[in-house]
Amino acid sequence: MRGRTILGAAIALFAGAVAWGQGATPPDRWWNPDEGRTFPATLDYADATGTLRLLLDNGPMETKGHPFFTALGPNGRACVTCHQPADAMSLSAASVAAQWAKNGAKDPLFAAGDGSNCPSLPQEERASHSLLIDHGLIRIARPWPPKNVTPDFRLEVVRDPSTCNLDPKHGLASSQPHISVFRRPRPVANFKYIEAMGFAYDPKAGMPLPLDPETGKPVSGNLMADGRVPSLTAQMRDAAGTHLAFLKNMDAADIARVLDFERRLYVAQQTDRLGGALDGDGAKGGPRLLQVSAPGRLGSQGTPVWSEFEAWEKAAPAVKAGWTPEVRAFRASVARGARVFREKTFLISDTAGINSPIGFGNPVRNSCVFCHNMSYMGMDVAPGQVDLGTTNKPFADPLAHLPLFRVTCTGRPHPHYGRTILTHDPGYALTTGRCADVGRITLQTLRGLSGRAPYFSNGSAKDLRGVVDYYERRYNIGYTEQEKQDLVNLMRAL
Amino acid sequence: MIRVAILLAAVAANGGAAVRYIGCPVYRDTDNGRKSGCWLVEDEASGVRYDVTAAPTKPDWNHAVLVEGVQSAAAGDPCGGTVLEPARVSVLEEGCTRHMLAAEGYQGRRFALPERNVRPLYEERKRPDRPFADGRFTIPFDYQSRFITYQLSDYYLDATINYALDVQPAGIEVTGFADVRKVEVSGRTIAEPASLARERAELVRNALIMRGIAADRITVRVGRGGAPFVPAAFDGLAAPAARRVDIRIVPELSEARRGTP
Ligand code: HEC
Ligand code: HEC
Repeated sequence: MRGRTILGAAIALFAGAVAWGQGATPPDRWWNPDEGRTFPATLDYADATGTLRLLLDNGPMETKGHPFFTALGPNGRACVTCHQPADAMSLSAASVAAQWAKNGAKDPLFAAGDGSNCPSLPQEERASHSLLIDHGLIRIARPWPPKNVTPDFRLEVVRDPSTCNLDPKHGLASSQPHISVFRRPRPVANFKYIEAMGFAYDPKAGMPLPLDPETGKPVSGNLMADGRVPSLTAQMRDAAGTHLAFLKNMDAADIARVLDFERRLYVAQQTDRLGGALDGDGAKGGPRLLQVSAPGRLGSQGTPVWSEFEAWEKAAPAVKAGWTPEVRAFRASVARGARVFREKTFLISDTAGINSPIGFGNPVRNSCVFCHNMSYMGMDVAPGQVDLGTTNKPFADPLAHLPLFRVTCTGRPHPHYGRTILTHDPGYALTTGRCADVGRITLQTLRGLSGRAPYFSNGSAKDLRGVVDYYERRYNIGYTEQEKQDLVNLMRAL
Repeated sequence: MIRVAILLAAVAANGGAAVRYIGCPVYRDTDNGRKSGCWLVEDEASGVRYDVTAAPTKPDWNHAVLVEGVQSAAAGDPCGGTVLEPARVSVLEEGCTRHMLAAEGYQGRRFALPERNVRPLYEERKRPDRPFADGRFTIPFDYQSRFITYQLSDYYLDATINYALDVQPAGIEVTGFADVRKVEVSGRTIAEPASLARERAELVRNALIMRGIAADRITVRVGRGGAPFVPAAFDGLAAPAARRVDIRIVPELSEARRGTP
């Protein structure tokens, strides 16, 4: 009975928060540039497992003329094109496929520059956009070698179904050599946490936090898969120049407005279609807690990671008796999933950033929370560049659609792979030029996951079960079927 | 030389014998929660398998390690080896065949946050009292390394930097040391290159600058021998004390005077 009410309330809330008049058709989930919608203080979208909620501090906000929502460059794209509210401010592969079905190649999302496998390909053809349509991947072209860096490794192309790395104009052997890797858009929200500096040091580097050359001030080091930009300001310039093909610099006023928007926005799952309100009966799921909590805290020294759902474990029998069997089962599973995440340990090995150079040892026994250690957010408090193996052989799954590179270390060998590494994306090494950093990818936040499949920077896990299965293979964990399901339920509730 | 003798004597007085050897680490998969695995390294010369888990740097099962430590009778046998505590482990480039043992009934150790850990930025920290005294600090290093060891060297580096920030303006002398003496260890002749002394000192200098200390306040030097400013950083172990950076922070006199009531 009680469960019914919760679910009922959640649905009513969803309908209400979107705030479209009775009878009117709700607007498209997809935000086109220059639509001039109002971004409300609370914005809900149905997603794969329930409702996703976005909260905008001091909202609502008019988006008309706002640089995040405006096509600044000639390709007709805005930031919002790839950072969609309904997709937790990332971009799900499902949304991309829907856009293709609707508009085909003329949708600005599929702009040749990075919305196709390579700009040289015939742009009308679906096959030329397969990485984006089928895997939600954007082409990221990085200069090689990086500016002002002498790398200690050589890069060769082993194979490239995207064609771009071998392309005479855009490839590694072109007159302006670039390496093309393919990555998922990272969510543009919850930046209070992503920018937070919990400690003054990066223990993975054994040095103080990196400095932003623009301000001389330390930064969290947690932006972008390869950590190539120190700050949201630098990121914006990078994005405007590449994704929007906007060759002028964004002006100071535009930058300030985008920053302001980014820093006011929170996103998390709010309701679950099986479990009801994620902040129901004492639990603290949903984005509200994110708005009011202090960022950059280690779960191990404060609020345990995913203790948001502890109340469901501890609820009095009388309270639980009011839940439908469905709600009860789901909530019990989420609470167990949080424990599995924190407490079920396994051997982590050959994972640069953890097993080297920092002295945790190789291997080291720990759990999911070792790396995903920040309270409320599940990212890394320290700069989170870690080689999980998602992009490096032999740990990466077969990914026939992605380019494969051979890295040859010319200085010291890699501490775990030796001299030669096969990789789909050298990650952080494209920024530092160090072979020891090949395949290290900055940990993402774990919020709003249900709205933004597939997962991992290269989209190699098609759903949350795929994430758990990857970890099981990678580290031979030995999760029971129940534990796997509990982890999936936990993650869909974030 | 004299210093080394004194430290060794002190160790002997505590009862444990000091060891220094190179060997291949074996991981024992004990499970007593996070970070509870055991590291065992046999000394080929004696055939004794030591438990080196207490070292701040843990081994890598693909690489040989230099072990330095003192036998500790009080520590029991949680891993299946003679416990070295205090202990230091340095990971070497030399390769080893990886090997893992099952727990075989051993419990390992439950992880406890080491006392030497860097506190978060959001935690209030106690400022030094005026007048500011000369500050003397020491940062230890693993053999052949200029990496700031987690939960050992970072603790001392943080203490150094915090003091430097708190007592500005101050002159800062950073002196690097490397263990350049050639010695025989487990059939190998080992020594650190002389250049490492300066590299260590430069690293500390950079860290100070990154935290906001003006570069022109810092002088960098290379030292030889002598006792470390902070012997506690080595827990009584003699050999590791030769791999360090000593920092002297001299608050400006005028500042000290101003602080005097
Ligand atoms: C064509 C799609 C696309 C467009 C348009 C786009 N982005 Fe992104 N964005 C991405 C991708 C892909 C990444 C991840 C890149 C990486 O990890 O290397 C990303 C990452 C980011 C990040 C980093 C988030 C984090 O936590 O690391 C921010 C911030 C961001 N984008 C903001 C913007 C802004 C502001 C604009 C408009 C100026 C914009 N983006 C336009 C695709 C896009
Ligand atoms: C050794 C460190 C480490 C451990 C342990 C770890 N992760 Fe991760 N996790 C990462 C890194 C690094 C990434 C980013 C990798 C990438 O994108 O390729 C990541 C990414 C993820 C993502 C993808 C987020 C996104 O936006 O795509 C999820 C979900 C996730 N981890 C869940 C888990 C779970 C569940 C566990 C326990 C089974 C776990 N992680 C254990 C380091 C770790």
